[in-house]
Order: sequence, then structure tokens, then C-alpha cells
Amino acid sequence: MSTVAAPLTLERPAAPPPTPGVTRGWGERLSAYAYIAPFFVIFAVFGLFPFAFTFYVALFDWNPIGDQVFIGADNFTRMLGDPRFWNAAGNTVSIWALSTVPQLLLALVLAHVLNHARLRFALFFRMSMLVPYITSVAATAIVFAQLFDRDYGLLNWLLGLVGVAPVDFVQSTWGSHVLIATMVTWRWFGYTTLLYLASLQAVPRAVYEAAAIDGAGAWQQFRHITVPSLRPVIIFTVVTSTIGGLQIFTEPLLIATGAPLTCGAVRQCQTLTLFLYEQGFGEFAFGYGSAIGVALFVMIVVIAAINYLLSARIRADR
Amino acid sequence: MTLRSHLLPAVAALALVAAACTPGGGGGGGGGDGKSFEFWSFAAINQKASVDAYKQKHPDIDIKLTEVGTSTETAQALTTALAGGKVPDLVLIQGDNLPKFVEQPQNFVDLRTLGADDIKGDYLDWVMTQSIAKDGEVLGIPTDVGGMAVAYRTDLFAAAGLPTDPEAVSALWPTWDAFIETGKRYKQATGKAFTDNAATSVFYQAVNQVSAKYYDKDRKLVYDSNPEVKAAFDLGIKAATAGITAGQSSFESAWSAGMAQGQYAAVSAPSWMLNTIRSTAPDTNGKWNIAKIPGGAGNWGGSYLAIPKRAKNPQAAWDYIKEMQSPAGQLEHFGRSGALPSTPSVYQDAKLAESKDPFFSNAPTGKIYTDALLELKPFYIGPDSATIGQEFLNSITNVEQSGGNPATAWDDAVRNIKTAIGK
Repeated sequence: MSTVAAPLTLERPAAPPPTPGVTRGWGERLSAYAYIAPFFVIFAVFGLFPFAFTFYVALFDWNPIGDQVFIGADNFTRMLGDPRFWNAAGNTVSIWALSTVPQLLLALVLAHVLNHARLRFALFFRMSMLVPYITSVAATAIVFAQLFDRDYGLLNWLLGLVGVAPVDFVQSTWGSHVLIATMVTWRWFGYTTLLYLASLQAVPRAVYEAAAIDGAGAWQQFRHITVPSLRPVIIFTVVTSTIGGLQIFTEPLLIATGAPLTCGAVRQCQTLTLFLYEQGFGEFAFGYGSAIGVALFVMIVVIAAINYLLSARIRADR
Repeated sequence: MTLRSHLLPAVAALALVAAACTPGGGGGGGGGDGKSFEFWSFAAINQKASVDAYKQKHPDIDIKLTEVGTSTETAQALTTALAGGKVPDLVLIQGDNLPKFVEQPQNFVDLRTLGADDIKGDYLDWVMTQSIAKDGEVLGIPTDVGGMAVAYRTDLFAAAGLPTDPEAVSALWPTWDAFIETGKRYKQATGKAFTDNAATSVFYQAVNQVSAKYYDKDRKLVYDSNPEVKAAFDLGIKAATAGITAGQSSFESAWSAGMAQGQYAAVSAPSWMLNTIRSTAPDTNGKWNIAKIPGGAGNWGGSYLAIPKRAKNPQAAWDYIKEMQSPAGQLEHFGRSGALPSTPSVYQDAKLAESKDPFFSNAPTGKIYTDALLELKPFYIGPDSATIGQEFLNSITNVEQSGGNPATAWDDAVRNIKTAIGK
């Protein structure tokens, strides 16, 4: 941009001999690169190199304290035939669906309510949305593990009051998924709400007022004004929460304390990242762990590509 | 509008960070001055007491003790350090984690170069054998062993109309089947669970009483064909389906809470477990006693001290091993922590043979555990033993806690093991 601006100035005809001007142009050009260099250097060191190295390690039977044997694509073929990989993939999708759908619906409704013109203490409610988000995952996990405990948990006590047998939320498959999804929803719904709210604030209040004058009720306003105007940001949150969902790690690691790396006796809540970690840092099969990492990367890139196409389409619609 | 153009690189960057992983370094401290040394241990087994005792005798030596976490976490940290980080001068490795390191002896100092041959004979032969690599390198010196027994609550036994005297209690269960029958009697009398879980309190104990475990004498894998392993597994399943367990996996927080509240009348108790019971349920002081384990002698647990190859002060670390793990040193440590020595020459010593534990109704712990060890049939522990044991345990836990089918549990476990270890 600077290189475009400089030649357009009126001083040009009266400019000094060409040589210094050329050097200044070079300097300006280079300085632009220098300004953006830190990001790319850091990215290369902490992003690109580890990624390329992961790809490289995935081709080996890599024992960190022993031999490194080149085995080509064996780790990948083994992974595709490994029931533990598909189990982890299934768990990841299940937990993602259980956490994303309620989370986004809740956030939509909350954003709509918080955006309401006549809400009192609106700022207080808006700020309080962020409290779960800034709470540490570990603290959240401790609290939820106690609430959902089989023998001493508040939830099972409440279920007992209405005559329902206690549910073992950690040891059962669906129970553990619900527990983890609840923790994820709890942590992220406020953040998502604020994203929606920010987008809603851009909608002129006159639109709502006009709709109200035309006789549209709260539900109709929600359906015909709030949801359509949030469409791009909804796509955005679906994609980011999908990427986040593929990377769920801490919550399952923390709830099954007896068998943390498998998240339970039969891997009932082991997610892909946890499986990666188990193979890489529990079994020290670095090659196999890296292969899982590469697979995860490919999945995330595919989802990012889908997002790119979707949002391009939304833009074209407008 | 910027959404689309910015998201893809941002997403890619996120993905890279998440998907890429490289080994990290670890540790710090300790120069090559030949006097100070850095020591990694796992937490909660009172190595600090040993270190303090050593410092008292040798005030000129500076020891930096790091309690890394659990035994597994310590082994993980060690692996990472060996792979390229800063290694400690001395490290404690739990018996189950040892075989993977013994397979790669190039990472450790061969202790024969420091004089291990002179003291090798002091230790239980089968314990010492575990830390000897294929070309005879001695990689670790054993610190303690885990003789087995059953700890039981005298007050709860009395309430259920069962005997409370250790002799009489031991006589209740000469076999594991009799143990399960006693559990049913207890359950009938009180309506409460008899023991914490089937996986560790029955299966892990029984599977450590065999003559060969997951490998045979020729170090070949036999976990799926060894009838002794199958028998122990069947006992675990039998206990899991008999309704006598509380279904609480050992060392989880609910397990600890249950122990403090007296939910289990009997718990498996390898010698190191006594410290766990003491610290988990301090209010139950004096309400416990210790009976013989059903089914005969066995060993569960025990640890080794090793010196990584790149240690800065191997000699200082060796001096520590030599003094603190000598028969006299281990006997002293038994007095401090209750960890059972791996040196049989002190088993007759009055300090051990006549020791009594007031927390466990003055049970003669020294005698009980050494008796359990001396009749033991040693077996080989291999690089995949820990993984195999964990899969068997998981399968039993699945039956016990998650409604898994007991009829297919064995086949499931064997299939899972084949997937996990690839053979």
C-alpha cells in the first residue's frame, strides 16, 4: 500500500535523482515484510515445523528412547483398521453433537433476550455470560464430576427423589457423553451468546420496532429478524465449535480419574485427542500417535473447507 | 466479509497447533560437581524421609528431590527426558514400568561399572533379575517389594457376625472361592458391599500368585493361553457378578470417600497399600486388621532406583543407592514408611519380624508380608505386561460397573489386548 501511495504524490516531478528514491522504495517494501515477519517466524517455529515433523514421525515406528524404524504408511493402515480409532471418532462426534446443538440454541435465545430494548440491568447479564468461560476447565470438571457422581452426586439425589435409579454418569457410555457435553455447553454458551449479541446489535432497532407495529409477536420477531440476521455468525459458531469439538481433551481426561487416558474401562468417553495422547504419551508410540494427529488435521481442514464454501455462498446470497 | 478470508488461515493455524506434537524437555538444576544430585521420585511413597535421613548424615551433599506425580507419570516424564530433555541423576521406577526401560538399556548407566556386582546378592533374586537387561547390564537396584495380604475392618466383621481375629479370618478364606463365599455371607448379614471392587481386590491379587503370568519362562507371550491367568480372570468375573463389591475403582475419589465412610469391609492390601489406607481414611485408625491372602504367596508392586546415562553426577547418585538401599538402609526405611525391604537378610531382624502396626490393630505386618514373599514363585514381567493387565482389568470393570456381558468378557479382553499390543 505504501508503495502505491508514494508515487502518487505531487512531489514526484521535482523528485531528486532516481537512485535514492529507489532505495527508499526498497526499504519501505522490506520494512513491510519486517513488520509482519514476527508472526510468520513464530508460526514457522511453533506451527509449521511441529506439523511437518508430525507428518514425518507418522511414517515411522518411533520409540522415543529406542529405535526409529521407517514403516511408510503402516501407521495409517493400522489406524483405519483399529476399532479404538473408530470408537474415539464416534465418541467425539457424539459428544460434539450433544454439546453444540443445545449450546447454540441456548445462545440464540439468550442473545435475543439480552438484545431486548427494555431489559433491566442488561449490562450485568451480558457480562455474567462470560463467567463460565473464564472459569478453568479443571475447576469446572471437579464441580461437575461431583454433581454427577454416582453415589454422592446432587443430580442422582434429585433423580432419587422422583424414584429414578441412580445413573453412573462416568462408567456408562451415554451418561459420560452427556456429562462431558454438559461441561462443554456450560463453558461455551456465554461466549457464543456474546458473539450473537454483538451481531444482533448491528441490526437497526427500527427493524424490530417496525415489526412490532406491524403486529409481529416475540416468536415471529425471533424467527424472521433475529435468526436470519445471525445466519453468518451461526455458521461461524457451528464451524468453530466443530473444530473445538474435535479437540475435546481436558473434560474427558478429568472425569474418569481411574483410567484417565482411556476415559473409562471400555473407552466409553475417549475422544480422538485423548486417543492421540494415550498412544503418543501413554504408550509412547510416537509414530502411531502422530498418524492420529495427521488424521485429525485432515478432518479439521475438511471442515474448514466446508465452512469456506458455505460462507462464500451466504455472501453470494446477499 | 473479512470472516471468510481470515477464518481459513486462522483455522489452519489452530489445527496445526493442536495436531502437531513434539517431545518436550524437562527438569533443571544440578551441575556436574560430583556431590549434589537430582532425584525424581513419585509422590506419596515417602522418599522424602529417605532423602532427609541421607542429608542428615551427609550435610555436604545437596539433593534436589522432585516428586513428579504418580508412578506412571514419573515413567512418562523419564521417557520424555531420555528422549532429549534434561535427565535426573537418579530416578525411581515402579516395577510395572521397568520392562520398557530394560528393553532399551543404552539409556541407563550399567550399574556394574559402579560396583553393582558386589551388592547384587543382597537382594531377592527374582526381584533383581527384573532389572537385568539382555547382555547382563544391571539397570536398577530394587527398593521395596509388595507382598500381599487382605486388610479388613474388625468392627464391620463383628457387626456381620464374622470372626475378627486374624487367624480365624485367614481361616475363612483359604481359597478365592471361599473369599467370595465370605463376601456373600457378609452381604446377606448387612446388605452392604463386602469389598471395593473385583478388578484390583480379586483379579490383580490372584493374577500375581501365578507361576507364570502374561509371559512364559522363555519370555514368550502366553496371556491368552495360560490357564493360570484365565483362572484368575474367572475369579475376578465371579466376584464382579456375585454382588459383593461396591464397584469403586481403586484410587478414584469416590473410592477414597467410600473407604473413609466404611463402605468396604475388606480391601486388597499389598504392603504399600497400608500407607494408602492410612492416609485415605485416617479416622478408621485401629478399626483394621490384616489377614492372609487367599490362594498363597505373591507379589504386587515394588520399585527400582536407576541412573540415566547422561546423568551429571552418577557417582553421587550411586553412593546414595549403595547406602540407602543396603539391607540396613532398607530396614531403617521400613521403620519410617512401612515399605517392605527387598533384602531377605533383614527379614529375621527383630525390627522387622516383630514390628506391629497400631493403625491395623497391632498386626505383625513385617512377618505377614515377608511370609507371603518367601513362598513366592517368581514370574517374568515383560514390556507389555502393564498394558495387558490394564485391559484385563478394564474388562472386569466393564462387567462390574457398566453392565458388560460376563460370558464374553474374556474374549473381549483378549481381543482388546491384541489390538493394543499388536500381537
